[in-house]
Amino acid sequence: MDILFGSLAAGILLGMVIALVALGLTIIFGVMDIVNFAHGEFLMVGMYTGLLTAQATGMDPLLTLPVAGVVGFLLGVICYAGFIKFLIRGPMVAQLLGTFGLMLFLRNLALLIFGSSDRTVHHGILVGKSFEIGMGIILPATKLAAAGLSVIAFLAVWLLMNRTKIGKALTATALNAQAARYMGIPTEKMNALAWGIGGASVTVAGALIVNFWAVNPFMGLLFTMIAFAVVALGGFGSVPGAFFAGLAVGLIMEIPGFWDFFTYTFDWMWMADVPMTSLKYMWIYVAYFVIMVVRPRGLFGWKH
Amino acid sequence: MAFLEVQNLTKTYDGLRANADISFSLERQALIGLIGPNGAGKTTLFNCICGHHPVTSGRIVFDGEDVTALKAHAMARRGIGRTFQVYAATGDLTVLEKVMVGCFMHTHSRSKARACAEEILRDLGLFDLSDDLVSELPVAAQKRVVMATALGTKPKLLLLDEVAAGLNTLEIEEIMASIRHVNQDRGVTVILIEHVMELVMKVSERVIVLDYGAKIAEGSPESIAKDPKVIKAYLGERYVKEH
Amino acid sequence: METLKNAFDFSDFPRMDLVIAGAVALVFLVFPLFPTSSYAMATMIQFFMFALYGMGWNTIGGYGGQVDLGKAQYVGIGAYTTGVLLIRWDIPFWVSMPVGMAIAVIWSFIIGYPLFRLKGHYFAIATIATSLVLKDLFTVWSFVGAARGLEISPITYPPPDYLRLIFREDIYYYYTILGFFFLGFIYMNWFRSSRLGFQLRCIKDSEDMARSLGINVHWAKIKAYAIATAFVSMVGSFHVCYIKVIEPVDIMSLDLSILIALMAMLGGAGSLWGPIIGAGVLIPLRSYLKEWLGAAAGLVGIDLILYALIIMIVSAFEPRGIWGIVEKVRRRKRR
Repeated sequence: MDILFGSLAAGILLGMVIALVALGLTIIFGVMDIVNFAHGEFLMVGMYTGLLTAQATGMDPLLTLPVAGVVGFLLGVICYAGFIKFLIRGPMVAQLLGTFGLMLFLRNLALLIFGSSDRTVHHGILVGKSFEIGMGIILPATKLAAAGLSVIAFLAVWLLMNRTKIGKALTATALNAQAARYMGIPTEKMNALAWGIGGASVTVAGALIVNFWAVNPFMGLLFTMIAFAVVALGGFGSVPGAFFAGLAVGLIMEIPGFWDFFTYTFDWMWMADVPMTSLKYMWIYVAYFVIMVVRPRGLFGWKH
Repeated sequence: MAFLEVQNLTKTYDGLRANADISFSLERQALIGLIGPNGAGKTTLFNCICGHHPVTSGRIVFDGEDVTALKAHAMARRGIGRTFQVYAATGDLTVLEKVMVGCFMHTHSRSKARACAEEILRDLGLFDLSDDLVSELPVAAQKRVVMATALGTKPKLLLLDEVAAGLNTLEIEEIMASIRHVNQDRGVTVILIEHVMELVMKVSERVIVLDYGAKIAEGSPESIAKDPKVIKAYLGERYVKEH
Repeated sequence: METLKNAFDFSDFPRMDLVIAGAVALVFLVFPLFPTSSYAMATMIQFFMFALYGMGWNTIGGYGGQVDLGKAQYVGIGAYTTGVLLIRWDIPFWVSMPVGMAIAVIWSFIIGYPLFRLKGHYFAIATIATSLVLKDLFTVWSFVGAARGLEISPITYPPPDYLRLIFREDIYYYYTILGFFFLGFIYMNWFRSSRLGFQLRCIKDSEDMARSLGINVHWAKIKAYAIATAFVSMVGSFHVCYIKVIEPVDIMSLDLSILIALMAMLGGAGSLWGPIIGAGVLIPLRSYLKEWLGAAAGLVGIDLILYALIIMIVSAFEPRGIWGIVEKVRRRKRR
C-alpha cells in the first residue's frame, strides 16, 4: 500500500511542476499557433540560470526565481523579434524545422559554455530535507516548494489572462488575430509578450526543477516531449487544461512505481522482469499519440 | 425516376440549422440555378450533396442509388463533381497537370490521363494555357480551369459554386457559354450557385431559392424574379410593400 | 512498358539541367578511380545514403506536404532486421534487406492509419512520438542487443563478401550505394509523374478539392508514407553492413529524423533534385566543418552550432530551399 501512496504523492508533486513547464508552451501556442520545439531548451536555460545565480551569489536557489524569470522573458522576446517573427511567414515545414534549429542551437551553445556533465544544486535551505507523512508518503522539501510555487504561478498567469486588460488583449489575439488588429490591439507586441511570458514561466519552472533534477545540455528534448503531451492532453491553448493535464502526466511518469505496487500486491513476479523504469518516458509519448488520435481537442481545448 | 432527388435534407451545426428540410429533384441534363442571400445555406447544401459533410437527416438519391452516407471521394466516383468557392491556389501545378489529376480518377496510365486532360482543355478553349501555373493565371481563366478540372472526373452531375464571382461582363459571357456547352454538348447535369443574377437567370431552366436554410421558392427564372417571397428575402419586407 | 518509359522520361526538364545532371552522374561513376582520401570516399558514401534518405522523405514530406519527423524508426527497423538476421541466422543482405523493408512498411501501415488523422504540427509531433517509442523499446529489448546494440565483426565473415555485403575497402560500398542511388533516382522520377504523385500534389494544394476529384486522401498519404519508409529502411540495411555497429540511441534518434527531413527541405522539398542538392550541401559541410574547426571544436559542438544556424536561416528566409531559389530566378527571367 505504501508504494501506492508514495507513487501517487510523488506523481502529483511532480505533475504540478510539469504543469508549469507546459504552461509556457500552451500560452505561446494559444496566441500564435506555433509549436516551439526549443521549449525544453528554454527550460534548460532556466535551470542553468537558477543554478549559476545561486552559486555566484550564494543566494538560496529558491530566491533566484525572479532572475530566471527575467532571463526567460528576455529570451522569449528576443527569439520572437529576431527569429520567430520571420519564421511564421513561411510554410509549416519551415516553422517546424526552424524551431528545431533553435533547439539545436541552444543545446550546443549550452554544451559549449557549460560542458556535458550533469550539475545539481547542492546548497540551499530546502535541499536534502523531506517530510514523511506516513503511509509511505515522502515529500521532499524542494519538490514541495516547487509544487507550491507552481500553483502560485498558475494562479498568477490565470489572473493575468482573465482579469487584466493585457491578458484580455492576449486572449483576443489568440482567438482571432485579425479581428484583434481591427480593435486596435497591437498584435505584434502581443506575440512578443506571449513569447516573453511563455519563456519566463518555463525558465522559472527550470529554476525550480534544478533543485531536484540534474541539468545537462541534452535534457531539453525529453521535457519538450513531456510538455507536448501535457498540452495535448489539456488542450492546446488552455491554461487550466495545462494544470490538470500536468498532474495526469506526472502520474504517468510514476508508472514504474504503480507497476511495482501491482507486482508486489498480486505477486506476479513476471512483472518484475519488465524494465518499466527505463520505459517510463515511453508512456508519455504513447499517451500523446493516443490522445491526439482519440480526442484531439484534449480536455479543455478550444483550438484545433 | 429523377436523376437526383434530395428529400427533406437537414443539416445542423451545433444548434444552427444551416439547411432545413430541403427537397427538390432534377432530371438528367437539367441546368438548375441555386440562389439566395448570403448565409442562406447554398454552399452547405452543395457540401451535403457531394458528401463533403454528413447530413443530419434526410436522403439523397442519385441515379437510383441512395448516396446519403457516402463520403466526398466516393461521391466523386459515383459521378458528382464540384468546384470550390474559395480557391487559394498555392501549388506548383500547371493547368494541364491540374486537369490530369481529375482524369487520373478513371485511369492509372499517365498517357491516358494526359490525353483526357488535353481533350478537355481544347474543348473549353484553354489548351494554350496548358503549361502555365494555375496560381499565376487571371481570375477568369482560373475559374475555367477549375471547371475543367472537375470535368476530368467525367461527372454526370456538376455542382458549380459561384464560378462567376469577380468576373466582368465579357468574362461572364464566356463562362456562360462554357456552362451551356458542358450541359448541352457534354451532357452534364449542372446545378449552379450564383450571386450574379444575369448569369443565373439567362442560363438556368429552373431556379431554386433558399433563405435562412429553407427552400422558399422554385420555378422558372421569370416567375422567381417576380415572386414576392424572393424579393423579400433579398431586399427586405419594406421593398415588397412599397413595390 | 509505359511505366518503364515514364521512369526514364526527363522531357519536362530544361536541357541545361539534364546536361549538368549527366555530367554529375559521370563524375559519380568515375570518382573512386581517382586517388582520393578515404575521408573523401566516406563522405561520398554518406552523401549517397543521405540523398536516398532525403528522396524517400520527399515522397511524404515534399510531394505530400506532411512533415514527417519520425523516419529514424524505420532506419532502425531496416538496420536491425539485416543485422539480427545476419548475426543469428547468417542470412545474406540481399534477402534481409527486402525483409527489413517489408517489416518496416507493415509497421508504417499500422501506425499510418491512425497517424494520418492528424495534420500539421500535431502530425509532426506524433511522428516524433512514435519514433521515440520504438527507440525506447529497442533500448530495452535484449533480442536486438538492448542499449549496447549490434556489432558485425568482419572476422566472422571474411571480406569481400558480396552476399552479406561485408567488405574491407570502401570502394565496394561506394558502388553498391551508387547503384541504389541511381535506382532510387529513377524511381523518384517515375513517382513524381505517377498517379499517386499527382494525387499528392493535389492534396498538398487543397485536400477538399482532392476529395472532390475522387482521391481517397487518407489512403494516398498512407501509401506515400509507406514508400518513404521503404526507401529509408533500405538505406538502414546498408548502414549496418557499412558501419557495422548500431545502437538505438544513434540510429533511431530524433537528430537523424530531423537530418533526413532537412536534406529535402534545404535542397527543395517537392522537387526531384532537391534532396540530392540538400545532401550535396549538408553532408560535405558537416564533414569538413569538423575537419576545419578541429576535432576539439567538434567535440564541443561548434560545427553543430553552425549547422543549427544554417537551419534557422534557411527556414526563416528561404523555406523553399535551394531549388526553390533556382525556380524563382528562372520564373523571373521568363517574364
